[in-house]
Amino acid sequence: MAELTLDNVTKVFTEDDGNEIVAVDGVTVDIADGEFLVLVGPSGCGKSTTLRMVAGLETVTSGEISLDGDRINEKQPAERDIAMVFQSYALYPHMTVRENMSFGLEESTDMPDDEVASHVEETAEMMGIGDLLDRKPADLSGGQQQRVALGRAIVRDPEAFLMDEPLSNLDAKLRATMRTELQRLQSELGVTTVYVTHDQTEAMTMGDRIAILDDGVLQQVGTPLECYHAPNNQFVAGFIGEPSMNFFEMAVQGGTLVSDRFEYALSPAQREAVGNADRVTLGIRPEDIVVDTEGGGSHQYDVFVDVVEPRGDENTTHLTFDRGVEEPETFTATISGLRHIQAGEPAVATLPPESVHLFDADSGAALHNRSLETTEVTEQLT
Amino acid sequence: MSVGTSADDETETGTGYPLRRIALYITLAVMAVFYLIPIETGLVTSLTDPATYSGQFPYLPPLEPLVADTGSFSLQPWQNAVDFLGQGLVNSVILVVPATILSGLLGSMAAYGLTTVSWRGQIAIYVTFVAGIFIPYQAVLVPLTQFWYNVVPLRTAFQPVAYAVPFVQEYHWKLVALIVTHTAYGLPICTLLFRAHYKKLSDEMIEAARLDGASIYRIYRRIILPLSVPMFAVVFIYQFTQIWNDLLFALTIIQFGDASVVTQELVGIGVSQSGTNFPLRMAGALVAALPTLLVYVLFGEKFAKGVAA
Repeated sequence: MAELTLDNVTKVFTEDDGNEIVAVDGVTVDIADGEFLVLVGPSGCGKSTTLRMVAGLETVTSGEISLDGDRINEKQPAERDIAMVFQSYALYPHMTVRENMSFGLEESTDMPDDEVASHVEETAEMMGIGDLLDRKPADLSGGQQQRVALGRAIVRDPEAFLMDEPLSNLDAKLRATMRTELQRLQSELGVTTVYVTHDQTEAMTMGDRIAILDDGVLQQVGTPLECYHAPNNQFVAGFIGEPSMNFFEMAVQGGTLVSDRFEYALSPAQREAVGNADRVTLGIRPEDIVVDTEGGGSHQYDVFVDVVEPRGDENTTHLTFDRGVEEPETFTATISGLRHIQAGEPAVATLPPESVHLFDADSGAALHNRSLETTEVTEQLT
Repeated sequence: MSVGTSADDETETGTGYPLRRIALYITLAVMAVFYLIPIETGLVTSLTDPATYSGQFPYLPPLEPLVADTGSFSLQPWQNAVDFLGQGLVNSVILVVPATILSGLLGSMAAYGLTTVSWRGQIAIYVTFVAGIFIPYQAVLVPLTQFWYNVVPLRTAFQPVAYAVPFVQEYHWKLVALIVTHTAYGLPICTLLFRAHYKKLSDEMIEAARLDGASIYRIYRRIILPLSVPMFAVVFIYQFTQIWNDLLFALTIIQFGDASVVTQELVGIGVSQSGTNFPLRMAGALVAALPTLLVYVLFGEKFAKGVAA
């Protein structure tokens, strides 16, 4: 168990024609001993490359990776005392579960055979695969293979776990179960873990902290709620949360934001945050938008319901300012699943000022994030 | 699914399905007869009296299924063929077994090094391997003779070995030369076949083994080699047949003498001034072909698996 540190880690791939592609650009993150860090981002953002550099499967172009204070850039994967779980599980198909799990201990330690056997059996029992030890991977279900892959990593008792989208090949229900189980296992074992995923639900629910990567650049490192409520920039705001945050690009005219469709009056604090920017992006999460049948107060707008997606517990409504347009621009609002609302109906949408985020329209940097205190107060009141 | 459904439909109408089946069986039967007739002819001829064999179609059962002067059915021509080819058969086995195993094993190792392990310049090396496939046999015959007879002093180097080790004869040096030649010539195709197989292995699996602490050699030994078994069956059958049936390299390197392999011996069997003994020749040909058949029977199932993979 150890602390894992990435200091300005950069990876540049050189293509055959000499083109250089920066896959990971100056990533710096300290992962505390026993911490569960989720590395999340869209495909091709460099998250897997980062993980592979930590594993030693890719060389580091510049920067330093250290484990427990020791630089490990030049160490062979085998010497790093790191175990990795792959998306495809990467089990050895010709070996039984027992042999799969013993392999690492046999290759990397001088442990006597009987000790290896007892370790393997112990771990298999813990993972609930004790009765599968003599089967081959091909005879196991996806979920069982997943457990074997995890067991194979755990049995080695490494300094750190690296997991590369380990749950993405499972069906939705099993994935939810394994998510919880993995979290519990990790906290029981207390092993420093870096978990790569493109799934923001996994990121939100599993990690002690999330690191969000886009285009090789680290966008934010923080607890899930920090990233959710106080995103550093528009990318993080849009990536974390399902359905995504709504964005409206607006021009600043004094204390008011103006677009073709609506105007939005800013509070003094928001006005101060905007400063002298002339264009900003207004962001608001779907669940913060209040949908009513009538209104007319401030920050309330006449809209039309374009599409309703019922989810049972809630409805995702797609609202639009433009009625009768073939493919209107829409924004989403989440409302209670028990409310009846029909596509094509007029409605009134409230964008509460305390829930609004403001981003610089060019750089995407957050200028103002929603206020958290007000939410708590209103919740207490209702 | 859709195939099954359409077949069912045709059964219901009662016409297309059985007709198609009948056509299929007829085609299969015709093809079976077509391919088996030469073998059947050889078999029948080998049991015919040399004196009577020209009197009828060679594929019909012999009128007098006799060996000359015995008056009764006998496997004498086969016995004679085995006696005549004995030395050649032994030499061929001494040649084929090591050459097949060596080319397969080295091909597998080369393919592993050129595919699964990554290092600078491996493509260039691989290209030279592939280029080896396209070198025509004819182009290397003279250099090959020069190489083994004049450049490499294998003959003199081999003499002490022949004295020291029991069962090893002096003339075996020619077989050693032929083993090396066949191994080298078989290496490109073996490497190509194994490479195609290794490319399909999961990279993540190899990476998992590296993280598990296995060295390059251990990964080969414990992961790659066990997963290559179906491909080894393909390569072994292919190389065995290739080397067993080869005459050109044998004529070039062994030329003549005690080290002659079975294909060389086969050329002269049943040929004398009094004429050609076709029954003996046919028996000889079948005896010489038996080991390749045996290999197909033994490795057939694994071969099919390897080809399908």
